[in-house]
Amino acid sequence: MNLRERQHAFAVALGMGAVPEGVDAHGMAVYANNYRAQLRACLREAYGKTVLWLGDDAFDANASRYIDRHKPSSWTMDAYGEYFVQWLENAYPADAEVGELAWLDWHLRRAFSGPDAQPMEVHDLVADDWENVEIDFVPTLRFRPMLSNAVAIWRALADETPPPPVVIVDAGVGARVWRQGLSPRFASMTADEATCLDLALAGASFGEICAALGRTHDGEQTARIAGGCLGAWTAEGMIRGLRR
Amino acid sequence: MSHPSPTPLSGFGLGLRIPHYDDFLETAQPVDFLEVISENFMVEGGKPLDVLAGIRERYPVALHGVSMNIGSSDGVDLDYLARLRRLADRFQPLWVSDHLCWTGVEGFNSHDLLPLPYTEEALDLVASNVHAVQDALGRPLVVENPSTYLAFPEAGMSEASFLTELCARTGCYLLLDVNNIYVSATNHGFDPDDWLRRLPLDRVLQIHLAGHSQGRDMLIDTHDSPVCDPVWALYARFAERLGDVAVMIERDDHIPPLADLLAELAHARSLAGDARSRAA
Repeated sequence: MNLRERQHAFAVALGMGAVPEGVDAHGMAVYANNYRAQLRACLREAYGKTVLWLGDDAFDANASRYIDRHKPSSWTMDAYGEYFVQWLENAYPADAEVGELAWLDWHLRRAFSGPDAQPMEVHDLVADDWENVEIDFVPTLRFRPMLSNAVAIWRALADETPPPPVVIVDAGVGARVWRQGLSPRFASMTADEATCLDLALAGASFGEICAALGRTHDGEQTARIAGGCLGAWTAEGMIRGLRR
Repeated sequence: MSHPSPTPLSGFGLGLRIPHYDDFLETAQPVDFLEVISENFMVEGGKPLDVLAGIRERYPVALHGVSMNIGSSDGVDLDYLARLRRLADRFQPLWVSDHLCWTGVEGFNSHDLLPLPYTEEALDLVASNVHAVQDALGRPLVVENPSTYLAFPEAGMSEASFLTELCARTGCYLLLDVNNIYVSATNHGFDPDDWLRRLPLDRVLQIHLAGHSQGRDMLIDTHDSPVCDPVWALYARFAERLGDVAVMIERDDHIPPLADLLAELAHARSLAGDARSRAA
């Protein structure tokens, strides 16, 4: 058996908890245990609030099945839990808050060490031609529609206060995650703000965003909502600049 | 291709861990250097790099990796090495180290330090990989002995002979983890003093001291407890024969208050002083 064959056989056996030819079973058990324990610890660390919400037994059972199905491939363990949000969404289709808590856990963690960016100051929020201005966001920004009050639950778990009961929220609302300075942030979004952010991230101009809002709001409301979003996003360090 | 030799450091340090960030940043602690886990800082931005910049302003830093995979029959990952090079170029570490092991093959990464069969074929491969690493990093690699829990029937040489030959072929240096020597010696039934006698001591730049656990069938390298007496004793015998080396306590789990680790480090200093007195 040459080295390539040896390593191939060892890697296959490690994932299966088997013993490759010619090696001591007790020693192999140590490596198999280390392998699974490290990946489980990695998931527990990345999804800390989800662990608290589900409880150790339910979380670990999901982690164990995920480890069975997902072999790590990146040089960094930070990437290992990338598909665990989707895994939990599939595991708990009737409990939207589980996948949404996991999404918050994952993206807050990614934002923590994501790319740096210098956010724009509020006093730089000027343009000659607002109609055609596009918004350039900091690279750590992520958003998603939400079906539950997972943001409030996550916050309560972080504060070590009793979490509120699960509530199914109005259609169209969302949550956003980004990093301001060195601190990961998250916030709930109304349906209007979620619409604006979705369009802005897709490259829509400020004029196009206002036009979309104008389909359901009058001119005064549209100006207030779009301007309010732009001001809040800038004040919260979400905008890197304006493209003209 | 030859690369500039690292400047040896004779001193005592600790592995930098998250619970101690503020201790090191806010107060000058009695350490001569800190070692950081490379992969924790091979990130795009944010607090980790901000912390490391603050640490580097205050202390010499060594980079210690766990994912270089120098024993893989796939060869080394050039993207990984490019990231590590950027980190090293920015923070100018004392040196860059990783383990004599493989972590994965064929796109699989176990995130564990897997054992190598100590064969001529493996030596050829690891030497080739170390050359590639040193060329990519522009500096010599420092290689650490891992704890191992099994051996391979095809192995034709000892770990010590393998490391010695690796140094000769590549010009790499050594990081000796005294706990790992003790764990492997106990698990495989070899004499740790004999293991140490076989090594080229002039290649040793750094020492790790750590704790381990008693598993069901063998000792497990958990690095989660204080250094035990047999490891201290092995270090004391070893210290008599070493020149300028950087000695550190490496705790990876169950991280205690910094004062506890500084107390262990003071004991290492004391043993080294005694060893120098005996050798004089």
